[in-house]
Amino acid sequence: MKLRFDDDTEAFRREFGDWLDAHVPDEAVSAERPRSTAHIPAWARDWQRQLFDAGWLVPGNPPEHGGRNATLVQQFVHLEELSRRRIYASYNPQGLSIVAPSILGYGTEDQKRRWAVPVLRAEITAALGMSEPDAGSDLAGLRTRAVLDGDRFVVNGQKVWTSGAHDADVILAFVRTDPDAPKHKGISVLVVPTDTPGLTRRPFGSIVGPDDQDFNEVFFDDVEVPAGNLVGPLHQGWRVANGSLGHERAMIWLGFAERLDGLVTDGGAELRARGLDADDRMVDWYGGLLIDTYALRLLGYRGLSQTRRGTEGPEQSILKLFGSEAEQLSTLRLLEALGPAALDPDRRTAPLDPLGFDSWSASWFERYLRTFAGTIAGGTSQIQRNIIAEKVLGLPR
Amino acid sequence: MEFELDDDQQELQRVVRDVVGRECPPELVRAVVAGSADGDDLWTTMVGLDWPSLTVPTDDGGMGLTAVELVITLEELGWAADPTPFLATTSQYLPLVRECFDGDARGSRLAGVCAGRTGTVAFAADTARAESDDNGGVGGDDGGWDLHGTATPVVDGDRADEIAVVATLPDGAPGVFLVPGTDLDADRAPAFDGALHVADLALDGVRVDAARAATGPGVAAGVERATHEALAGISASTVGACRRILELVLAHVKDRHQFGVPIGSFQAVKHMAVDVYVAIERARALVHFAALAAAEDDPRRALAASMAKAAAGDAQRLAVRHGIQLFGGLGFTWENDLQIYVRRAMVGELLLGTAAEHRAWVGHTALEALPAPADLSEGATP
Repeated sequence: MKLRFDDDTEAFRREFGDWLDAHVPDEAVSAERPRSTAHIPAWARDWQRQLFDAGWLVPGNPPEHGGRNATLVQQFVHLEELSRRRIYASYNPQGLSIVAPSILGYGTEDQKRRWAVPVLRAEITAALGMSEPDAGSDLAGLRTRAVLDGDRFVVNGQKVWTSGAHDADVILAFVRTDPDAPKHKGISVLVVPTDTPGLTRRPFGSIVGPDDQDFNEVFFDDVEVPAGNLVGPLHQGWRVANGSLGHERAMIWLGFAERLDGLVTDGGAELRARGLDADDRMVDWYGGLLIDTYALRLLGYRGLSQTRRGTEGPEQSILKLFGSEAEQLSTLRLLEALGPAALDPDRRTAPLDPLGFDSWSASWFERYLRTFAGTIAGGTSQIQRNIIAEKVLGLPR
Repeated sequence: MEFELDDDQQELQRVVRDVVGRECPPELVRAVVAGSADGDDLWTTMVGLDWPSLTVPTDDGGMGLTAVELVITLEELGWAADPTPFLATTSQYLPLVRECFDGDARGSRLAGVCAGRTGTVAFAADTARAESDDNGGVGGDDGGWDLHGTATPVVDGDRADEIAVVATLPDGAPGVFLVPGTDLDADRAPAFDGALHVADLALDGVRVDAARAATGPGVAAGVERATHEALAGISASTVGACRRILELVLAHVKDRHQFGVPIGSFQAVKHMAVDVYVAIERARALVHFAALAAAEDDPRRALAASMAKAAAGDAQRLAVRHGIQLFGGLGFTWENDLQIYVRRAMVGELLLGTAAEHRAWVGHTALEALPAPADLSEGATP
């Protein structure tokens, strides 16, 4: 056990930090804000492309895909450094972290050139079409149908929760190609350009407000998709799905750690400003928050060590469960403690981060609501508990 | 950053787990509680395996390992509700002697621990004081000290070969005084964990000569540093007891059938078990952090120690509550071994500061370290 990274790793961190210091766009440049997770303002496209060209976008990739063949630990330090500075490499996070790596992992050279690299270079943006009205936690139950007809698929059905679809150029859609096979074995993955006839996108407001439009319903009505848009082998989409969601699994907890850090900083400042920093309840809250924050990071570091050694196991599922619930409960307790001071839905709770998402400095109420993204998306806390009970604790199904 | 046990540490864990599983079964703990056995054979086994010398420097005849190896060992001993004086000797007495004494006073005691002598610490700065005896004290003016007051509760205070008493000096600073167990008036105090010794000490009239006293300027810091290891140690023991509770619960819910299926297939049961598991993992991560911070003398060592104690407290709270509940009526019996480990888990919470006390300290310390208030208030104070 060691508490510090080795010198080479710290040298790597410094190299990246120096590059960031020299290249991060200033506040004036970043004035235009993104409106969804697939809308990248012009300045942010430039920023993402600079990262790509310098090999700092996805350091684990080879140079032609925006990286520098970095090791796992270096990739971690890269994310940690971005997180520490509250900098977002891409305002199309699902494109960067799920769609592009899925195509790079399972697609043809032509597909990589046509979609993966342009997504990484922020020339186009992408959405992820997985969930359906009747396929949420039971993702493998998805029913959107794609029938191969000569050199094209004909797609019919509906997706929902498709973040950023209305602003995206392509959707990576998971579709059923063999309705007779067991449900995990008849799924395929298609890249569907959003301007294809028959494809309709209907964005809808989130619980935060009617104008907070990122989610979409996406309807497929005889949508014709070239057979060449099939990513990976026919009917093998479940493998791609597991790979896609697995790409970030070793590091997904950093998002929760980052928001817990935000609570430590912004919540601490709030307590100070309101003279609540000696209130017994809030001191208790703050102590508990710090303990959760440290524990999550330590468990994450342990997971990283295990991944590096190839001894990674299902116990890493606790990172999402613990991180998301710690964030949620902690935000709620602060909100409650503030009383009427937390009523105003427009009062910012932290300075705006020019290179961050605006929602992270929103009112405590909005910050609390947004914590449910952590406990619901990507497998609800209940599903996580089932997985841990069965795969880690060995309890019967 | 390498926050995973290395190969040697994993091997140590396997060895301790194996020995403890064999040599400290529930039957032994029950017999000790009933008074029909003591843990002496187990202690002899541990000494024979050199476990007490784990963190004694190699120059002093020990294995020269760190607090990390110590907490690995203590977790396994907590798992077994170990009835020996290992916890107090290795995680309280040893660090305090190592930090606060030098020369022969230190060397002879470290060698003694390697040979199987036992010790403990009376953390009694609030209730015990020391006065110089050179103004007419019992032993003449040889720089000795007279102790006054009481110390409670002291783990193993009734049976340790030597007790290191932390008492307050006339100038308000702490001093450490090494008192042979035979010189003290110690009463074993009742405690719901009958396998753990806790005692009340009366210190009036106890005289300590200069060679057994540490009163210099570095003592306060030494006591602090030793306290960090003591907190990590008792927290590790609690985590081990919680792990045992979870193991018993898991075996039970896989085996127990109702409505024609194992009750462990019910989500209500699964989710409670997972919450216990997560609380244990959270606490263990912080225990390892506290041990590592102490071993590497990281500036966060005090914070880490209190975090570990608080998280261990949180874990025992959930493990005990869910553990008894998930066993149903079968958990509510003396015959079920669950009660042994429930006692060991909860006793740790009540010693050396509760979770709430440590959490408050962590919160206060962190809030005091915040930068000056930003101008967020805008007259909106509730």
